[in-house]
Amino acid sequence: MIELKEAEKMVDKLAAKNGKLLISLLEEVQAYYNYLPEEALRAVSKKSKIPLRDVYGVATFYNAFRMKPCGKHLVCVCLGTACHVRGSMRVLDKIENRLNVKAGGTTSDKKFTLETVNCLGACALGPVMVIDGKYHGNMTAAKVDNVLKDSESKKRNKK
Amino acid sequence: MRKINNSTELEKLRKSILDKVDVNKPCVSICKSSGCGAFGADDIVERFRKELQKNKLDNKIDIKITGCHGFCERGPIIVIRPKGIFYQRCKPEHIPVIVSKTLINGELIDELLYADPNTGQKIPYEKDVPFYKKQTRLVLADCGKIDPTSIGDYIALGGYASLVKALFEMKEEKIINEVKQSGLRGRGGAGFPTGLKWEAARKQKSDIKYIICNADEGDPGAYMNRSVLESNPHSVIEGMIIGAYAIGSNEGWMYVRNEYPLAVENLNKAINDAREMGFLDENILGSKFNFDIKMAKGAGAFVCGEETALIASIEGKRGMPRQRPPFPAQHGLFGKPTNINNVETWANVPMIIAKGAGWFAKMGTQTSKGTKIFSLVGKVQNTGLVEVPMGTKLSEVVFDIGGGPPNNKKVKAVQTGGPSGGCIPKNMFHLPIDYESLKTAGAIMGSGGMIVMDESTCMVDIAKYFTNFLQEESCGKCVTCREGTQRMHEILTGITEGNGKESDLKLLEEMGRIIKDASMCGLGQTAPNPVLATMRYFRDEYAEHITKKRCKAVACKEIISSPCQHTCPIDTEAATYISLIAKGKYDQALHIIKKDNPLCSTLARVCNHPCESKCRAGDGGEPISIRGLKRFVTDYGLAKKQALKVKSAPKNGKGKVAVIGAGPAGLTCAFHLAQKGYETTVFEKLPVIGGMLAVAIPEYRLPRQVLNADLEYIKSAGINIRTNTALGKDITIDGLLKQGYKAIFIATGAHKSLKLGIPGEDAKGIYPSMELLREINLGNQVKIGRRVGVIGGGNSALDAARVALRSGKTESVTIFYRRTGAEMPAYKEEVEGAINEGIKIEFLTAPTKISAENGLLKKCHFVRMKLGDMDESGRRKPVPIQGSEFAVELDTLIVAISEQPEASYADKKTGLDIAKDGTITVNPETMATNAKGIFAGGDSVTGPNSVVEAVSAGKVAAASIEQFLNGQEVKRQYTLTRPSLYIEPVELSEKELAEAKRPVQAHLKPEQRNSNFKEVELGLTEAQAVNEAKRCLRCDLETKDGKKFIEEIKNKSKSKNNKEKAGVACLK
Repeated sequence: MIELKEAEKMVDKLAAKNGKLLISLLEEVQAYYNYLPEEALRAVSKKSKIPLRDVYGVATFYNAFRMKPCGKHLVCVCLGTACHVRGSMRVLDKIENRLNVKAGGTTSDKKFTLETVNCLGACALGPVMVIDGKYHGNMTAAKVDNVLKDSESKKRNKK
Repeated sequence: MRKINNSTELEKLRKSILDKVDVNKPCVSICKSSGCGAFGADDIVERFRKELQKNKLDNKIDIKITGCHGFCERGPIIVIRPKGIFYQRCKPEHIPVIVSKTLINGELIDELLYADPNTGQKIPYEKDVPFYKKQTRLVLADCGKIDPTSIGDYIALGGYASLVKALFEMKEEKIINEVKQSGLRGRGGAGFPTGLKWEAARKQKSDIKYIICNADEGDPGAYMNRSVLESNPHSVIEGMIIGAYAIGSNEGWMYVRNEYPLAVENLNKAINDAREMGFLDENILGSKFNFDIKMAKGAGAFVCGEETALIASIEGKRGMPRQRPPFPAQHGLFGKPTNINNVETWANVPMIIAKGAGWFAKMGTQTSKGTKIFSLVGKVQNTGLVEVPMGTKLSEVVFDIGGGPPNNKKVKAVQTGGPSGGCIPKNMFHLPIDYESLKTAGAIMGSGGMIVMDESTCMVDIAKYFTNFLQEESCGKCVTCREGTQRMHEILTGITEGNGKESDLKLLEEMGRIIKDASMCGLGQTAPNPVLATMRYFRDEYAEHITKKRCKAVACKEIISSPCQHTCPIDTEAATYISLIAKGKYDQALHIIKKDNPLCSTLARVCNHPCESKCRAGDGGEPISIRGLKRFVTDYGLAKKQALKVKSAPKNGKGKVAVIGAGPAGLTCAFHLAQKGYETTVFEKLPVIGGMLAVAIPEYRLPRQVLNADLEYIKSAGINIRTNTALGKDITIDGLLKQGYKAIFIATGAHKSLKLGIPGEDAKGIYPSMELLREINLGNQVKIGRRVGVIGGGNSALDAARVALRSGKTESVTIFYRRTGAEMPAYKEEVEGAINEGIKIEFLTAPTKISAENGLLKKCHFVRMKLGDMDESGRRKPVPIQGSEFAVELDTLIVAISEQPEASYADKKTGLDIAKDGTITVNPETMATNAKGIFAGGDSVTGPNSVVEAVSAGKVAAASIEQFLNGQEVKRQYTLTRPSLYIEPVELSEKELAEAKRPVQAHLKPEQRNSNFKEVELGLTEAQAVNEAKRCLRCDLETKDGKKFIEEIKNKSKSKNNKEKAGVACLK
C-alpha cells in the first residue's frame, strides 16, 4: 500500500526535474514505482492541477503506462511487421504456453510480465524479444525455453 | 566546449579540427547503433579497447564508435579506415585476430569479409559491397562515419555551414523558395510539399511560432528515423534551425518515441553540445536569431504520429486527432502556428541549402525529387537501410540491393507504407518508386518501411495483422474507425480460422469505402488500405481460405492444423503417424498411413515430399524426415506382412465405371470406387500395370517387389483389369459408353517425350527418355554406347542417366542442363545419387545441333548459357553466350526435356476439350471434363507431375464420380484439415534436444551400385526413426482443438494425482 503523502512527496521531487510535461512526469513516476499506483495519479493530479479524470485518461490511453505492478522480469516480444513475417506469433505462442500467461499479463508467481511491442526497430534480428533490456534475436519457438531459463537467474528488470 | 560567436570562428574551428586529423592514421569504426548493439557491439568495443592497450597501440589507432552503417543483416559491422576494409558479423572473439592480422600485419581476414552470394568472391572494401554500391547515400552519407556524440565530427565534415549560409547569405523568403524549388516532399508518409508547408507557417502573423520534428516513427518495420537520430542527430538539428529561421519560430520541439532510448540519449547530447557551442539558444552565431529545442517523449501510441494527435500529446493530453482546418500552420501547439516535419525531411534541408535546389531536383522523377531512405526488412537476404533516388524500380531495391528472399524462396510482394499502405505484388516490381505510382498501385510511399514477403506469407493473415494493429491503436473518437477496424478484424479472423463466408469479401469492401470516407484522421482514412490492397491483388487467397479451407502459405493455424498434412495432396496425417512412431506404435501408424494412401510403400520411396518443404522444423533447422519415417513404417508392414489386402466391399449395383490407364491416378480412382461398391474395370495399354511406376521409375529407386505389394493391395479391393488394351485402338470412349459404362475416368498419363527441335535429331542412337526407361523396365535390351549424353534436368533425365550407367557399358555419362543447379527440378536426392555414382552434370549448357555419320549419332553441339536479365518473376532467363559453341562426341544421346500426353485418341466425337500440348481440360476441383460422365486426372491433365498429385486426382475423381452416379451435383467438398485423432506428445530430454538432428539414410556405396539395379536408399533404422519422430514439433496440437486435447490430458493427470494423494491419505 502506498501512502498518499509519500506519493505526493515523490511526485514533487520528480516534477521539479521534469517541468510541465504530464507524460514525461508519468514516465518518471512509473520508472520509480514500476507502475502507476492510484495514489501516485492522485498526487500528480494535485501537483499539476490537472483533473484526476484527465490524468487517468492519459495514463490509460498510452501503451507505455502500466496500471498494475510489473513482474520481476519484463518479457517484451516484438510484433512488428518484419518480425511477424518471420514468425514472431509462434514465438509469442510458445512463451504464452510456457509461462501460462497471455500477452499483457503477469504470471501468478509475479516472476514474469509479458508484453508485446509494435516494433523495436531491430528488424535485421527478427523475430526479436527483449528481456530486462537484453535483446534476443533470431528467435524461434525452440529457443524460448532456454532464453526464459537464462533470464530467470538474472537480477530484477531494469527498464 | 567553446562558444562560437560568428561564422569566421566556425570556419577556424573546422579547419583546426581537420588539421588535427591524420588521414593516414588507422581508425576502426564500430557500429553501436541499436541494431548492432543488440548483436553485442558493446562487448566488441570493450574488447577492442583492451586489445589495443595490450598491444600498446591505443595511441597509434583510433576507435570511433559510430552510428548505423545500414547493412544491418551483417552486423556487428567494423570498418577499418582509411582503406575502408569492411568486416561483417564480427564477434568479440574475432578482435584479437583483427588486431594482430589486419591492424598490425595488414592482412585481410577472409572469414569476416563479405562474399558475393552468387560467385562466392570476397569483397574487402566497403565501397565495393553491392549493397552499398547501388545506393545513393546522401542523408545516410555520414552515418557510420562519424561519432554521433561528437559535434566536432559533424563540423569536420562540413556541419553547420548550411546554417551559416542560411543565416547570413539568404533571406527567409529565399530559403523557403529554395526548399520549394527543390521539390522536397514530406518524408513522413503523406508527401506534402515541404516548401509550401513552411510558407503557410511563415505567412501567419504571431509572436510565437513553433516547429516540431516528428520522430514518432510508428510504422512497424520502419526504423529509418531511428537510425538518423542515433547516427547523425546534428543533421536534423541543423535542418530545424534553418527551418525555424525561415518560418520565424524561436522554439522547436522533438517528439521522439520512448521506445528509442539511444536516439533520445544521442539527441540530448547533440542538443546540449549545440547549445553550448552557440548553434542554439540566443543570438545564434551572432545573427541575433534565437532558437532552442525541447524534447518530448511519446508513450506508445501509433496515432501520435498524426500531426494534431502529436500536438495534443505534447500538450499533455490523450493523443486524439482533431478536425482540420484549422491546420497546425494556423493553429497548432498551444494554439500557435506550428510547422511539423518528419526527421528525414529536416535532415534533407542542410544539403539543399548547401548544394542548391537545382542539385536536389535533378534526382528523382517529375513529381518526386531527391532520395528516399527505406528500411528493407522481412523475407529478404540483405536486411538494412537503403537510400535510393526516387524513381528507382522496386525490383532493383528488392533484388539488386536486397538480394531477394533467403533460402531460394520465391518473392511474393512488398508492403510499403506500413499499416496505412498496401502491398505491391511481384509482377509490378517494375514500378518506379515515387509518391504517385505507389498510390496508383494501391499502396503509399509511407515513411519508408518496405517489408518483403515470400511464398510463406499469407496475405489474408497480413491483412488481419494490420487490422489488429489499427484497432488497438485507433484513438476511438470516430465510430467508423473504432468500430470499423474491430469489425474488419473480426471478419478477417473468421476467414483465417476457416469460418469465412463468400459474402465477407463484399462486406469488407463496403466497410472499407465507408471507413475511408467517414473517418476524421489519417489513421482511419487509411485503415482499410492493407485489406483493400491484399484483396485487389490476392483475392484468390481470400477465396481459397473461404471456399476451399486452404492456406497455401501454411500460415493460418486453425485452417492448416499441421503444415505437412495440409500440404499433402492426399491429406496424409503425417503428424499423427509420426507421433505414433515416437510411441513405438508402428501398427497404428501403418493404419493411419494406409487409410489415405493405397500406394503408400511406393510413395514412401518416390514421393517428392511437399510436406517436408513446409515442415516447421525446417524454419532455421532441418525438416523432419517425413518420407523416411513413412518408409520405416511401410517396410515394417511389409516385413510383418501386415495389411497387405483390404476387404473388398460388396457391389452396390449403381453402375459400372471404366478407368483408362493403370497408373497411380487410374489405380487410385479404381481402388476408391471399388471400396465404395462400384463395379470398376481398368483398361491398360501396356502389358503391365503401374504406369510410370512400372515403366519409368527405375528399380534402384523403386524395387519391383515393393511396387507389387501396393499393386496387390489395390487389386484386392476387387477391380477388373484388362491389359494390352489401348484407347483409340482397342477401345473408344464412345464404345465404352455404349457398352454400358456409366462413367469414365481417363488417366492415360504423359508418356510422349518432347523433341529437342534441333537439326539432326533423327539420327540413330538418340532415344527419348521415356522410351529408354520403358524398354529397360520391361526387361528388354537397349543399345547403349560408351559415351552417353542426357539432355534435361528433371527426374526423367536423372533416371535415364543413372539407368544408362547401370547398363555397365558406359565410359562416361554426362547430363547437360540449360539452367543452374539451383533451378534444376529433379529431386535433390537423385542429383546427389547421380553425382556419387560418377555422373557429370554440365550446367548452363544447351544443345544446338546434332552431327551424324551415315545416319548414326557422332557429335552433339552445345552452346554455353549465362543468366541474363531478371524477368518479372525475379528469375534470370538463360541466354546463349555468343562464340561459346563446342561439340561433344557421343555414342548415345537421351532426350529428357519434358513429356506430353498422347491425346490422338480424342477426336471430335468424344467432345473433350484438349489443349495444344495434349492435356485434357478439366474442372480442377472435381476432375470433370466438359463431356458428361467423363472425368480425367493425373499427367494427362497436368502434364508431367508428381506421383502423389496423380494419386490425389484419382481420389478426387472417385468422389466426383460417386456424386455423379448418385445424381448429385458434382461439387468438391472441402473440410478443415484436422487429424483423425490426437496423440499425447513425447518430449525430448535436454540431451536429446541438444543432439537432435535430421538422420541421414544409409545408402548403398557407389561402387556397389554401378552395374545393378539394387535399391540405393536403405531406409532408417528403428533408433533413427524413433528419435526423428520425437523431433516433430507437433503443430497439430497448436489449434484450439489440439490445445483442448492437451488441457484434457493435463486435467486427467491432475485428477489422477489427486486420487493417488487421496488414496495415500486414506492408506495413512
